[in-house]
Amino acid sequence: MMADFPAMGARRSLAVDARDALLFGACYLALDWASNIYPLGPFNVTPWNPPPALSIVWMLLGGLRYAPVVFAATLAGDLLFRDAPGGLQISIITSLILAAGYTGIAAVLRLRFQFDGRLRDTRQLWIFVAATAVGAAIIGIFYVGALSAAGFGFRDSFIAVVFRFWLGDTVGILVTAPLLMVAADPEGRRHLMRSWRKPETVLQFATLLGLILFMFQGGAKPQQYFYLLFLPLIWIASRNGLSGAVAASGIVQIGVVLGVQIGSLQALAIVELQVLVTALTLTGLALGIIVDERERALEDLKRTLRLAAASEMAGAIAHEINQPLSAMHNYGSACQIMLRRGKDAVSHSELSSTLDKMLQESKRAAEVVRRLQDLFRRGTIQLEPVKVAILLERANAIGQELNLSGDVNFRVDSNDSARTLLADRVQIELVLRNLIANAFEAVAGMPPGQKEVTVLTRMLKGGRIMFRVADTGEGMSPLVQQRLFEPLSTSKATGMGIGLAISRTIADAHGGALTLSGQRHGQFDLVLPTEADDE
Amino acid sequence: MSDATESGCTVFIVDDDEPMRDSLALLLGLLGYRAASFASAEAFLAAYQDNWTGCVVADLKLPGKSGIELQAELRAGGSQLPFVIITAHGGVTSARAAFHADAVDFLEKPFDEADLRTAIEKGLAKELGRVQRAAADREEALKLEKLTHREREVLDLAGKGLHAKEIARALGISPRTVEVHKASVMNKLGARNVAELVRFAMAADKCS
Repeated sequence: MMADFPAMGARRSLAVDARDALLFGACYLALDWASNIYPLGPFNVTPWNPPPALSIVWMLLGGLRYAPVVFAATLAGDLLFRDAPGGLQISIITSLILAAGYTGIAAVLRLRFQFDGRLRDTRQLWIFVAATAVGAAIIGIFYVGALSAAGFGFRDSFIAVVFRFWLGDTVGILVTAPLLMVAADPEGRRHLMRSWRKPETVLQFATLLGLILFMFQGGAKPQQYFYLLFLPLIWIASRNGLSGAVAASGIVQIGVVLGVQIGSLQALAIVELQVLVTALTLTGLALGIIVDERERALEDLKRTLRLAAASEMAGAIAHEINQPLSAMHNYGSACQIMLRRGKDAVSHSELSSTLDKMLQESKRAAEVVRRLQDLFRRGTIQLEPVKVAILLERANAIGQELNLSGDVNFRVDSNDSARTLLADRVQIELVLRNLIANAFEAVAGMPPGQKEVTVLTRMLKGGRIMFRVADTGEGMSPLVQQRLFEPLSTSKATGMGIGLAISRTIADAHGGALTLSGQRHGQFDLVLPTEADDE
Repeated sequence: MSDATESGCTVFIVDDDEPMRDSLALLLGLLGYRAASFASAEAFLAAYQDNWTGCVVADLKLPGKSGIELQAELRAGGSQLPFVIITAHGGVTSARAAFHADAVDFLEKPFDEADLRTAIEKGLAKELGRVQRAAADREEALKLEKLTHREREVLDLAGKGLHAKEIARALGISPRTVEVHKASVMNKLGARNVAELVRFAMAADKCS
């Protein structure tokens, strides 16, 4: 029974293979027909040769087993569109060289460099470019060499013919393969589709098309205006990344091919144009990939930031939750010991009161868990009445803890201890810790006797309270001040600089604010609403 | 329950969390220890007496001075009370800090009763050893105090391995008088032979 499945699977995959092979053949022949322009000499060395790109990408995605299909398609193209100028035998030999060469390029990329048909970073791009350039050169030498050996002469020198072959193949692959890779990748397709909805993209491509038209209006020397095309290409690549860049260079290539066809240019002008297209394509690809990389790095960064904020919070909450848990644990152990002593030795009331305490602690733990859930579910905070005195006590403790060497004059000064605010105690403690730690760091480099960190409170109108954390450090440059609350901006040599960004988020979430108020020294004001000020 | 408790050892709990203190005190009481609780390092220091013996179980994170700072302060004051550091915020850094500060153990909350007991026993064993050593030292010191000045001189020289004649020459007295002093020293110190006398002499040398 079970043994049937693999066989069935094999049959089905064979059908899929056959369908894919036919699809590939059809695409290959269509591309071969379309690109069969300006063949040089009797042996169809064209200035633009995209079918190899299809072969390589197909094998990158589908595997090297398509090699025979590539051979068949190459041979068929030669027979159909170029009437096999050297006879069937020569066509078979040249097709074999081409198919083996493209398979070789695909094999190197796939096996040596683990390509899966997507360009992700600049390293991959340069590997791809190098493999293509070297591969095409080797293929060119063998291809032209085989024809020479068969006794076919060329108007130009051997090297010149190999160069033309190499240029055509390289440009064809570099322009077409990334486009095919982006098209084959669902994410790349989505990206391209999304960018088309932006009016800017439409404008970009309209500019590109306009410039191509303008270029060919110039008459016999369109290449002299070619450099203009770099402008929209850079614009497109920098805004839309790789997918935009490959689309743009594809359009430029098609524009060049059409322009060449209509303007019936000299072969030399076409070679020149193709060299320019190569430069343009490489620029676009490199820029596009760098833009993509940067975007990905930014995404990663945002995720890391979120994680860092969550982990900071989680650490504080783990501490909170471990307290009731360990108390519970102790009470539980105590109960066990009491029970182990036997019926008579146990005081019923003692056991019962211990169990009561245990329940109390479990409630405390549950409370913390609930807050944690809230935090993650809604990203909200758990407001509870918190005495200013408690926060000041914590601030004091934090300061003492940080004042290890004891050489910092640390003061907590307040007349508002009796006030109560509505706050998430854990989070506000985090903010205070952050501010105090920053202040301590700011004075660390000051000469002895000039190290002061002060925490004070002041009531503001509207029943709001301000916690001011001030230090006698050197303050911050206007540039640093400007970007102070942005994630990852930091005036410290070490550290991620996420503290103030998170702190401000927390203050905002409390309906409060966190601002820098000092100019010459570091001074931060955390303003929070106090409990209904209706007395 | 243990020898340590019988010889007056107490477990001092220093933790800012009230239920934590309460539950620990209850548990330790049930385990047969004498326990005393403090809400902060400062409270402990305010009450601290030099003659306290036992083991401190202190939270790492306390308002004000931390458990490790408390230990450092006691050490600076000459106290050798062993410390077990507990924390709800475990981490390599804090554990390392605790060990560098020569705590006997580092427990992460919540901890098992057995682990706590092992840690405390380890601390108390250390403490008991110290207490006994201190008692022995004190006893010897008391005995040494009973010696006269001349007897002390004889003891010192005897400790250096000098014979009666050599001692006599060094102190400018007769060998016979030396023998009398030596007999008196042995009697006062309770030394049965010269070897024991030498041991005393070396201990006395260390004391002075």
